[in-house]
Amino acid sequence: MQFAQICDRVEIDLAAAVQLDLSAFPGIWVNSNPDTNGIARLLMSEADGKLSVQVYAIGPDRLIDWGTAEASIFTATPSSRVGAGFTCLFDFGFAETRLQASIVKGLIVLAQFHSFKDESGRADYFVREYFAATHGRY
Amino acid sequence: MKQNFEFKQSGHLNPALTDPATRTLSADKLIGRWMNTNRETQGLAEFLIEEDGGRFSVSGIGVGADGPIDWPVTEAKVLANLEEEAGQRAVALTATFDFGFMRAETQVRVNKGVLVIVLFNTFLDDSGRSNYVNREFYYRQHA
Repeated sequence: MQFAQICDRVEIDLAAAVQLDLSAFPGIWVNSNPDTNGIARLLMSEADGKLSVQVYAIGPDRLIDWGTAEASIFTATPSSRVGAGFTCLFDFGFAETRLQASIVKGLIVLAQFHSFKDESGRADYFVREYFAATHGRY
Repeated sequence: MKQNFEFKQSGHLNPALTDPATRTLSADKLIGRWMNTNRETQGLAEFLIEEDGGRFSVSGIGVGADGPIDWPVTEAKVLANLEEEAGQRAVALTATFDFGFMRAETQVRVNKGVLVIVLFNTFLDDSGRSNYVNREFYYRQHA
């Protein structure tokens, strides 16, 4: 087994491998910052072992629906089968946004990499924000 | 900022994005050799960030079974960082290390003098290992 850091050298029983547990993700996740100029909320859903992410972002006068992207799932360790993060890409033509998310203590920490492909001269930029799952318990 | 710019969120229209200074803001805060704050790490022990003519490159040293494992010099993309408070703001980096059997996407930023590296590791072999995310912290090694 090849590795680039010793923590990646783990014993895996391929015969006993189970499907990834994606139960942490589905639902509506709301930005903790009410004054954000970026992503307002995430809608995540699971179907057939795949995770879909729909984004609504803040626009000048209403939310902008980015549509849905399929996410790649990441666990917390190479031997875990429990989803703990995801990445996905939204390509808008004039720009693309890559999302890298990890769940920390019930929050999604969402890193956003915005890259412009037009001639606007805008700098590519990075934003990191926090999202909480709405649960209606309190 | 011109209002005819295309956008998908109001943040895309932030006037700071067309300020040339935004692209290089406090880049010197990232340059140097960084050591993992966890001396018992089983992951990336050291991280080197270099800059030459505005181009950034990164490399690292992973903890191996019989000694250190070099992570190859890889070009990093510079991103303006609009999130931190003004005094703390510095550009962020992203780079992807390709080992053939594994791809490691990095997210690199500095927060109050601590370098934060988030690794999204994707295994490309058939080892059955799960792709995973890991975050570690680094302090700058002073000469």
